[in-house]
Amino acid sequence: MLRFIVRRLLITIPTILVVISITWVLVKLAPGNFYSGEKRLSPAVERNIREKYGLDKPWYQQYGKTMWPIIRHLDFGTSLKYEGQSVNTIIKRSFPVSAAVGLLAYLLALVVGITVGSIAALKQNSKWDYTSMAFAMLGISIPNFVLGPILVLIFSLGLYWLPPSRWEGFPSRNLILPVVTLSALYMAYIARLTRAGMLEVLRSDYIRTARAKGLSERDVVLKHALRGGLMPVISYTGPAFAFLLTGTVVVERIFALPGLGNYFIQASLNRDEPLIIGIVAFIAITLLLMNLLVDIAYAYLDPRVRYQ
Amino acid sequence: MRSDKLKHIVGLVLLASLALANHSCTTVSSNEEFFGSTTPPARNIFRYVTGDEPETLDPTISNGQPEARLYLGLYEGLVEYNPKTLAPEPALAERWHINNDSSEFTFHLRSTGRWSNGDPIDANDFVYSFRRALAKETASKNASMAYYLKYGQAYNEQRVFVRDPKTGEFLLAKDFVQDLPTEPLSGSAIDPAKSEYIPDPKETTPDPDSAFHHLMHTPQRLTLPGDEKARNKRLDADAKLKEAVAGKEFVGVKAEDIGVEAVDKYTLRISLSQQAPFFLGLLAHQVYRIVPRKIVEQYGNTWAHAEHIVTCGPFKVKLWKPYDQLVLERDPMYWDAANVKLDEIYFYPILDNSTVMNMYKVGELDAMYNHAVPNPWVHIIKTKKDYMDKGEAAIDYLIINTTKFPLNNPKVRKAFNLSIDKEAYANWRRIVKPLNGFMPEGMFPGYPVPKPEPFNPAEARRLLGEAGYPVSQNADGSFSCPKFPVGEVEFVYNTQAQNRAFAEWMQAQWKQNLGVTVGLRNLEWKTFLEAKEKLEFKGFMRGAWGADYMDPFTFLSLFYTGGENGTGWEDPKYVAMLDEANRMLDPQKRYELLAKAEAYMMENQPIIPLDTTSVNFLKKPYVKGMYPNPASLYPWKYVYIERDRAKWDYGTPSLTAE
Repeated sequence: MLRFIVRRLLITIPTILVVISITWVLVKLAPGNFYSGEKRLSPAVERNIREKYGLDKPWYQQYGKTMWPIIRHLDFGTSLKYEGQSVNTIIKRSFPVSAAVGLLAYLLALVVGITVGSIAALKQNSKWDYTSMAFAMLGISIPNFVLGPILVLIFSLGLYWLPPSRWEGFPSRNLILPVVTLSALYMAYIARLTRAGMLEVLRSDYIRTARAKGLSERDVVLKHALRGGLMPVISYTGPAFAFLLTGTVVVERIFALPGLGNYFIQASLNRDEPLIIGIVAFIAITLLLMNLLVDIAYAYLDPRVRYQ
Repeated sequence: MRSDKLKHIVGLVLLASLALANHSCTTVSSNEEFFGSTTPPARNIFRYVTGDEPETLDPTISNGQPEARLYLGLYEGLVEYNPKTLAPEPALAERWHINNDSSEFTFHLRSTGRWSNGDPIDANDFVYSFRRALAKETASKNASMAYYLKYGQAYNEQRVFVRDPKTGEFLLAKDFVQDLPTEPLSGSAIDPAKSEYIPDPKETTPDPDSAFHHLMHTPQRLTLPGDEKARNKRLDADAKLKEAVAGKEFVGVKAEDIGVEAVDKYTLRISLSQQAPFFLGLLAHQVYRIVPRKIVEQYGNTWAHAEHIVTCGPFKVKLWKPYDQLVLERDPMYWDAANVKLDEIYFYPILDNSTVMNMYKVGELDAMYNHAVPNPWVHIIKTKKDYMDKGEAAIDYLIINTTKFPLNNPKVRKAFNLSIDKEAYANWRRIVKPLNGFMPEGMFPGYPVPKPEPFNPAEARRLLGEAGYPVSQNADGSFSCPKFPVGEVEFVYNTQAQNRAFAEWMQAQWKQNLGVTVGLRNLEWKTFLEAKEKLEFKGFMRGAWGADYMDPFTFLSLFYTGGENGTGWEDPKYVAMLDEANRMLDPQKRYELLAKAEAYMMENQPIIPLDTTSVNFLKKPYVKGMYPNPASLYPWKYVYIERDRAKWDYGTPSLTAE
């Protein structure tokens, strides 16, 4: 198991470097510059800016200047757009915001999703099942840029219960709407996956064995069925967790949260090369780590995976 | 059966959400006087949305609109904008003299100016800040706004003087440059018999003279590119120059050569390379606001971060959380602190306009930045008394790539212009006024706006026929123009729902009036900009321009140097006309000459004018001292919260000076 983990971690490093390099090439190929705007700069001003940021150097020097500090001490450089702000500081500052919202949304999605999914599976074809699956369908089909404004409309503009946007730290009432908006889709998916997984497991032989042994229904469900029924949920929630943690553009925009997702989209629109590379690398690392965690969890939950 | 039930449930939920959406319309369109809450904040604070996150709090570097708004609170220059008219008013300079041809300015600073850390402000701060703005290392995006200073452009472009090592004499520009405008007073020898300045009876002692002053009063020196390759190219093209340069040495233009001088502690003299009657108004621009030398030199590119920053405006930084909020507080060190009314200003960077509207409605914002009201909301919001409705010193137009067939033919360009009904367009946009020239409507009193021909589809068809593309009328009354090469013309716009509707509107006009169907193409913003800069598009693009300073030249100069305007149109005759106008000392005569130049440019039709824009934002009635002026620049020191309902603004406040 340990060897497996170490090997996976070692593969991660070249993967990240390749991801960074590809991103670098893509940013270089993208038309436009970080300094271009509605009002065009004079050629001399443009030259001064290019010199200041080393953009007048040949490509291999620029590539080296980007990669070397990353390899040596994970230093992603200074943002081009935001004068003097280091990319590492920006990530350090904005990641906790995204992570707080993401983690809460993730937990909410897991708790509600698994509960609803299990109930639907246990009471298959009942009105519980139909109602919950109808809501799940709705959660999957309503995009968050529609759900968010609707929630704001009801709870902020209509009832004046909750603030419509902005970050006020953790925890605060401002978190409620973004967390609910963000988790809806995942909640719905998890409910459906749990239901499907549980239905399959409930019909399997070892559940019949457990029941034959005379275990209480509670033990059958919690100790045996749930463990097996959650396998599809786990493979889904690993990457989902990574995405939630690293921020979602739409929710952060609607609710004006200073998170990583917001920075990511702005960095791309602004052609802010170091910031784009820094955030891409950060998301890639998080994703790879989450996938690794999923694999470990799989091995833990399903002995067949472990022994192979 | 199961799916039936599901359908039923889904149907119900959809109905419910439709009802909710409906509810939204009713809340917005209700007959309230104002949009949402009108409870003033409990404390003396002001909460505002600036638009995007500021790039930096260093006023020299950034040229963005959101930043410009912040700088009005944090920094000050020699003059400050009048909150209503934007005319320059005394700020760190108490009074000033302008020489007889607007090429030299002498400012007397107030002795009470202080930085937020308590250090006194004197003339050297201005000298340092102006030089820094033009230094190559600063890489200021605004540098060209300071090119009017003598040798400012040469320094920013790292050019060199040519000096004779034996005599120490420099080569002069007038000997080698053709069409050089006559030397302004600031560059001519001082004539002791004549006063440079109109004598001021209040001023008893004359401004101190200095060696630098005499140095500035010598004819302009020749400058050549600092880069050897570019320089040799220039020399190779001019045999006379090459001969003159032989045996001479090249001396880089230094910061000390720029025409700005601290004559004494509180006297600053600025020498320009040309006559610039609009220069005083330009001095309120962010590039002329000062930065603290000690702090900049100590902290480098992080000097303007919250932990180091030192400012000189009515407010100072209290807290800065990027992409979250920037909080300013009243600066007790400010020379006019007694008249600053707000205790704190909260600037929120919010990108989503609906979010801005929501926050405003629930009373978490007191005002929002210009153009924040989304277009589909305008017809309802416009009826509210907190909606600001005033003309703006900004225009919308279509850029034409005049270098590509078939739009390289002015007749074709004219035909496309005359076939757009600008009246109808303005009605459709709801918040703009139709425009036929290149100057925003009613912004420059006394400027004789040329009146080019408005909408005239018959004439447009005639012109297109003359250009070789006859337009024929079909049996059903519509037009067709089979010979026109539609594949060569496109309408390019940057990706945005609103822009698509806009493009389709233009397309329909041309289809209807000329029988030409122009293809549409959308590009991501930066890609769009690149296509514009490199003239890599065929046909039309959307263009917009807002005033940098309140003078018609801010619009006309767009075609002064080629390349900046994205049309590829350049004309030495137009440039000469502008030069002639700017040499005119009588403001009315100058306006007339500028208007002539505008008419000439419009005759060539490198652009199709569309509209003068209007301001488009909301401000709570209790916010006073904030006026929807033509450039949407608000000196925050005048803004205050009025708690007496009787004194509130019911409607757009007047801009006429009291």
